[in-house]
Amino acid sequence: MTLDELLLQALNGLSFGALLFVLASGFTLVFGLMHIVNLAHGAFYLVGGYVGIVTATATGSFLAAIVAGAATAAVIGLASERLLLRRVRGKELPEVLLTVGIALVVADACLAAFGGNPRSIPVPSVLSKSVQIGDITYPTYRLFVISLAVALGALLYVVQHRTRLGAMIRAGVDDREIAESLGINVPRVFTAMFVFGAALAGLAGVVAAGLLTLRPGADIDVLLFALVVVVVGGLGSLEGAAVGSALIGLVDAFSKVWVPEFSYFAVFAPMAIVLMFRPAGLFGRSRT
Amino acid sequence: MSAARWAGVAALAAGIAAVVAAPYVLPSYTVSLLTLMFIAALLASSVNLLAGLAGLVSIGHAGIAAAGAYGVAWATVHGLGLPAALGVAAALTLAVSVVYALTTMRTSGIVFLMITLALGITVFGLALKLSSVTGGQNGLTGVRRPGMVGEWWQYYFFTAAVYGACLLVLAALSRSPFGLMLRGIRESQTRMTSLGYSVTAVKFAAVVVSGAFAGCAGVLLAWNSEFMSPSVASFSRSALAVVIVIVGGTGTLLGPLVGAGIVVAAEYWLSSYVERWQTVLGAVLILVVLFAPRGIVGGLEGLAGQLTHRPRKEWS
Amino acid sequence: MISRRWKRRRRAVRLVLVVLAIALAASACAPDEDTGGGETGGTVKLGFISPVTGFVAALGTDMRRGWEMYWQQNGGKAGDVTVQTVFEDDTGDPEVALTKARRLVEQEQVQLVAGPILANTAYAVAGYVAGKGLPTVQMTGADDLTQRKFDPLVLRVGYTSSQSNFPAGQWAYEQGHKTAVTICPDYAFGWESCGGFVSAFVKAGGKIQKQVWHPLGTQDFSTYVAQARQANPDVVFIGSAGGPDAILFYKSWTGFGLKDKIPLVGNCCFADQVFLREVGEEALDLQSFTYWSEGRESAVVQDFVKAYEQQHKEIPSLYAAGAYMMAQVIAEALKKTGGKIEGADFINAARQVSLSDSLYGALTFDDTNNVVGPVYLTRVERRDDGTLWSVVEKTFPQVSQFGTEGKDAFLKHPVFSRDYTGQ
Repeated sequence: MTLDELLLQALNGLSFGALLFVLASGFTLVFGLMHIVNLAHGAFYLVGGYVGIVTATATGSFLAAIVAGAATAAVIGLASERLLLRRVRGKELPEVLLTVGIALVVADACLAAFGGNPRSIPVPSVLSKSVQIGDITYPTYRLFVISLAVALGALLYVVQHRTRLGAMIRAGVDDREIAESLGINVPRVFTAMFVFGAALAGLAGVVAAGLLTLRPGADIDVLLFALVVVVVGGLGSLEGAAVGSALIGLVDAFSKVWVPEFSYFAVFAPMAIVLMFRPAGLFGRSRT
Repeated sequence: MSAARWAGVAALAAGIAAVVAAPYVLPSYTVSLLTLMFIAALLASSVNLLAGLAGLVSIGHAGIAAAGAYGVAWATVHGLGLPAALGVAAALTLAVSVVYALTTMRTSGIVFLMITLALGITVFGLALKLSSVTGGQNGLTGVRRPGMVGEWWQYYFFTAAVYGACLLVLAALSRSPFGLMLRGIRESQTRMTSLGYSVTAVKFAAVVVSGAFAGCAGVLLAWNSEFMSPSVASFSRSALAVVIVIVGGTGTLLGPLVGAGIVVAAEYWLSSYVERWQTVLGAVLILVVLFAPRGIVGGLEGLAGQLTHRPRKEWS
Repeated sequence: MISRRWKRRRRAVRLVLVVLAIALAASACAPDEDTGGGETGGTVKLGFISPVTGFVAALGTDMRRGWEMYWQQNGGKAGDVTVQTVFEDDTGDPEVALTKARRLVEQEQVQLVAGPILANTAYAVAGYVAGKGLPTVQMTGADDLTQRKFDPLVLRVGYTSSQSNFPAGQWAYEQGHKTAVTICPDYAFGWESCGGFVSAFVKAGGKIQKQVWHPLGTQDFSTYVAQARQANPDVVFIGSAGGPDAILFYKSWTGFGLKDKIPLVGNCCFADQVFLREVGEEALDLQSFTYWSEGRESAVVQDFVKAYEQQHKEIPSLYAAGAYMMAQVIAEALKKTGGKIEGADFINAARQVSLSDSLYGALTFDDTNNVVGPVYLTRVERRDDGTLWSVVEKTFPQVSQFGTEGKDAFLKHPVFSRDYTGQ
């Protein structure tokens, strides 16, 4: 494999991984704080993406699409958390089943509202060109996705480790009771985190619509990827989500070239290896 | 014998009578849905064995069912007789169950869930890939049922009988020392180890036993459709089995049957009249979780317990 | 104390056993069968299955619309016979498709089942319906349905997956392209599509440099496009199943700047309306080999397109056209049989249908119940109102599912698969 080909595939893997990071970060944060496996995360991605597409087509503004998509997902997340999830706080199986019910309703609503045609987002012309990197021509949009993910990661890191909000969240993760006794309004932090996670999923949907297409069933496809990423990275860990998504993206890209027969299973190989040697994930903490 | 006991026996007799009467009073299509319900209930029961007793939730059991289904389908299409076909199905089910067991026996909780998820998807992928054996995406046609149960009503009785027999075995297992060991694992693995039990060995056995029931469900499914395709192993089928268990009531004996009835009704009966049936199913799930958190049968048992001032029992 | 408990238990067990015995005795008697298919005097009842939910919801919805449009335009009648349709959704899953087919046959008592579309759902449904002695009309491309798995009760109003690609392979070579790379999804439809192109291209003298197979539902085509680019062939053939795969592939293709570097030829289903609605301008001048050209200059086609667009605000896709064709052939057959649907007789009547022009063009059927008809080389153009559609550049008449080999020679070799693509 020449250096150019290597670079090309690496960029492919990283751009897909970048998208996975935007998606998985929300998922892992919600789990880390609230111990909820939010199986409706894919549905939030889908609805956010569809709303983004409709907004972009109507207004011509990609930025408006991002805002609209993330906001829609956030609102649905808020309704889910306050009206439904809060009533079964702490009970794992009911929480998961509740998110499954929410996922079914949201996904079906998307089908009813947006139809079954595969849709993608009209990308602003500045992003739809290609860039010359050495000998290869690489789509600008993919580089945009990578930069977006890096920026998001940096922002999340700063918030988590350098702000009071982040400290509150970390306290809530470490020990909820003590955090509450210190006066932190833990339920409100939980709600905020769930809403934020949903917003991230919606953002991922809008961004993905420029790279992939949205269609019925896409919610389950991405949910599976998100699950693999957070298992590899460690549930609850942002660093884990970053490393995990980069790893899975690269494995996906290179396996298609080197072992195309098995590219379907290839993403499970890192998961299997991690689970064998570090069941809590690369950056995870074991839950006792 | 107490009134509650008599009531239980009477209910059982009534249930059996209803099951037997069905083909004579209901149209053949409805009976075919009941057949599907029993098959789905059997698969869900296999998941329930692990989830209800041992606290291990598997979201990949459709993969094991598919192993049994493909085994019997491949054998039948290649002209092997009934005993040989069942033998192939059993061997394949055992092999796949052992793989599931070996990879999960040292894990629990979320990790167990994720590994079974991956395994289920792997089986699905293999069914797609090994197209010379499995027929790939197009699947295998012409998987004829054994002559004796060829007719729709005969097959219905056969399926109901198999389900009933499996239910008896599951009930016996639950009360057996093995069942107690599984419950012990759910309570505290460290305590079980300190008592001298090999937790990994018990888990291994549990997954293999549960796999046997799943394989049975697979064989029944293949014969029911007389057709086989990778969708039997899909993630949604596995997820649906888990939903059935939770809706019916994890850990209850009849929970999977009730859950299966609801899901099959939604997927096939409701969908013919309501285009947004998936929304209805989602709403039903949400309602069940909010208002019957122990599942429908679990909730009913709790209610019965309150009415008769008896503590709620598991595996009634 | 213990003996009393045992007596109680024994009584309960005996009760249960008695019930079981009655049950076993009762089960020896067969209940009434719900069989359908009888005449209902002047009305026929048809069953129609397509995936209106699930990952191919767009296809199933278009199918329903095309089917309904035919009956609307003909007053819901075929000659003197009134036609009723019962619709079912198969969600793209074979188990569901089969159960819905059961419902149509046993509960709704339909006399014929049309659809579904995905190959595995079609095989499941056709197997069941034919097993019940009822005729079924399909539009799926699965080659073997009218070849090695032929059944006298199954009629395909449509083309096999490989059929429209035979002229493609030949034509590509005649254009001066000596080497080719094929990109097809890694399952039966893809193998059969590529098989059609490859067998014809190689037979004409061409060389296949590489066959790229991608999993169905691939999100990211950049790897596959890169492989094609590396081989640097004279032409690339894309045998897509349409929908998201086609759109994503083309995004990668243009994103990597290959649109103007390597000629691309599509199969029947690559540049269809579902694709064009999404891709837009970038798709201009794309060439494909297909059986449905919505821009074809024929009154039949343009009337249909106009009427469809008026009702649904979209140009009809090949799924809408295909379902319309199924309805039309069924209607013509009904006129021939005087409204009777009796098993293989109905299929034989349908097979006699010969149309001098239709949405597909001038078509007849061969003796294994498949269409023999024209294949068009099309190009994507912009209409006056700015929307895109495919217009005909060249017509290849009377293409058979057996290509140029003839039935016997063709059936001697195995069905196109990943290992055998006609090289």
